[in-house]
Amino acid sequence: MSVSDATTALTEALAARDDMIVCEGVNKWFGDFQALDEISAVIKEREVVVVLGPSGSGKSTWIRCINRLEVHQEGRIVVDGIELSNDLRNIEKIRSEVGMVFQQFNLFPHLTVLDNITLAPIWVRKKPKRESDDTARSLLERVGIPEQAEKYPGQLSGGQQQRVAIARALAMEPRIMLFDEPTSALDPEMIKEVLDVMKELARSGMTMMVVTHEMGFAREVADRVIFMEEGQIVETGTPEHFFTDPREERTKLFLSQIL
Amino acid sequence: MSNTDQETLAVTQSRRPPFYRDATVLKWLAQVAALALVLFALIFMAGQAGSNLQAKDIATGYDFLGVSLGSDLGSGIDTNPDTSGRALWVGMVNTIRVSIGGILLASVLGVVVGVGRLSSNWLVKRSCSVYVETLRNIPLLVQIILIFAVIASLPRVAIDQGPIHGWLHISNKGVSIPRVHIGDGFYQWLIFLLIGAAVGLWVKRRRSQRHDVIGRDTYPVASFVAVVAAFALAGWFAHPIFGWVGGIFDFIASVLDALTQQLVQLLISAAAAAAAVLWIRRFLARHRTPAGRTKLSDDDYFRVIFAGLAAVLAVLFVTVGWPGFSSWIINSGRDLFEVLGDKFGDGRTGQPIDAKRPDIEQLGNFPNYGPAGLNLTQGLAAVYFGVVLYTAAFIAEIVRAGIQAVPKGQTEAAQALGLRRLTMLRRVILPQALRVILPPLGNQYLNLTKNTSLALAIGYTDLVQVGQTVYNQTGKTLEVVSIWMLFYLACSLTISVVVNFFNVRLKIVER
Repeated sequence: MSVSDATTALTEALAARDDMIVCEGVNKWFGDFQALDEISAVIKEREVVVVLGPSGSGKSTWIRCINRLEVHQEGRIVVDGIELSNDLRNIEKIRSEVGMVFQQFNLFPHLTVLDNITLAPIWVRKKPKRESDDTARSLLERVGIPEQAEKYPGQLSGGQQQRVAIARALAMEPRIMLFDEPTSALDPEMIKEVLDVMKELARSGMTMMVVTHEMGFAREVADRVIFMEEGQIVETGTPEHFFTDPREERTKLFLSQIL
Repeated sequence: MSNTDQETLAVTQSRRPPFYRDATVLKWLAQVAALALVLFALIFMAGQAGSNLQAKDIATGYDFLGVSLGSDLGSGIDTNPDTSGRALWVGMVNTIRVSIGGILLASVLGVVVGVGRLSSNWLVKRSCSVYVETLRNIPLLVQIILIFAVIASLPRVAIDQGPIHGWLHISNKGVSIPRVHIGDGFYQWLIFLLIGAAVGLWVKRRRSQRHDVIGRDTYPVASFVAVVAAFALAGWFAHPIFGWVGGIFDFIASVLDALTQQLVQLLISAAAAAAAVLWIRRFLARHRTPAGRTKLSDDDYFRVIFAGLAAVLAVLFVTVGWPGFSSWIINSGRDLFEVLGDKFGDGRTGQPIDAKRPDIEQLGNFPNYGPAGLNLTQGLAAVYFGVVLYTAAFIAEIVRAGIQAVPKGQTEAAQALGLRRLTMLRRVILPQALRVILPPLGNQYLNLTKNTSLALAIGYTDLVQVGQTVYNQTGKTLEVVSIWMLFYLACSLTISVVVNFFNVRLKIVER
């Protein structure tokens, strides 16, 4: 059995176990600074995982490695049975299956809300425009802003923009959604409207990985909480266990500072 | 707040302030004063110049334009012009040629170098940086003279005459490359091309609508090109069938010839009045809301007044100011349509276009490039490559800044959606970068056009050089300068209008 056969066999075996994201010993450095240190974790289908940790702990770097916005230097990342490597086709495939929502929304300011949402379906999935428009309008309905379709991002509030960003990611019918601090740039009264959309998404069975500081969201929605510090995974557990009875000293310290 | 305070406030508000504190009155006064000042300055300077010229016994006027120049021009559409006016026209055409060609090449080169500076390839990046830093830090005049000197040091044109069997010939006479010649049947063929373009645009629209319906790529641009190519091919053989088009132009020419000066004056006056009325009505309509008309601000009143004034001035100009203007329009219009009638006329059945390689001929004492090739003479090459290389360095910086001004998050969002590199560039990055690039790019185009006047230094016959020849012979310095100014102003305004058109289209709606 050759190496590539073994890899294929392993990949298939991993896919068969409905593991959506598998990370094995992932390492990443920015110059001398080690951003990710032996990250290993498995995220299953329909699971909602919240990643917590102080700033600079590598949460965002990790989540950005999963759709190759950052390149990991050691270890393996397998997303839905496809291994992330330098193979451009794999990267393309993974990116079209993984939706991402950013802290700064990153909507395209020169396109209307509708065009923001239909851009990728039309040019990546090659879908007819009318069909994409209909999908986009129903997605806007789902995130609660159907009346904003013809406006430009600059005309919307932060909360509305972030909901458009979620709709834009959903338009590609992703199997996994990544959220990189989706509420950190929002005014307090707008956080709720975005969290409500995310909760609805979680209930609908979407596999989600969320980097956030919203402890309420973690407690209410997460199936699992991962706590990171200095590029390492310190502790993993259910929200009840994590918030009421953490094992690690560092977790306790973190919780005492924020709660 | 107590009761008495409120009363005092109410009283202060209701009383009209004295005029020197009334913002509205002051604003109007300032406008009127500024207008008066400008008019006074203009009249004063014109009067001064007039009396000075009179004192020195120099007659003003543009009669010299019709007088023979008595010297040849180095290069241009007509190297032996009959009159000074014709010579200036040759200079203008040269300037326009250098400018348009320069803008095209400088844009391409600038974009390549600008993108190159952002390349991840070390060698490409360094070379582009060196290019920009070198060329933008040396005065343009120095560069032009350098290129001129380098060309002068090249080998002489060989004596053996006839066509050169190559694509590019460089010598101390300049550069010569193959050239497309317009043939006999070109204009009839052009009609085929125009019809092809119209049909092509229709097909293109249909194809993109089809794309919206089925989602698969329908190649709208490729279909457009294919349709135009098909028409061009058909027209190559069938163009004589459009021989009758010339008759239409001949008819228009005869209609123009039948017009009288008074009639044209009347038509122009009516058009000016109608334009002013239309503009004012549209302006007022924009200020009308369903609830009734909004209050006009002082500036709005000024705009309305100036629109009316402009119309009156236009009418005065064509009737009193320059009555001959109307006959000039009639005559040049008739001439234009007569020329068109001839070009499109029957009996022109030859090949539409033809391409020839550079040739060498010896008319006088020295061999030189003949008319077959496209010749960049020594002076033209120096000016052309001078302004192109220099402006490209600035355009490169503008392009780089524009691309870098698009936030990194835009790239990341596009990547996260799975967009391929080219789609991302076309749909996300470029539309936003262009918004930043266009206004300063327009400035560079203006600079390039104006910088072509440095041709004076090396004796290339652009408008300024020809103008200098003209005023040296006629003494009409002010008149020639006024022609220069109007010409460059017209060029600049044209470029501004074109750039602004695209700029408005790219604007991002923010609130």
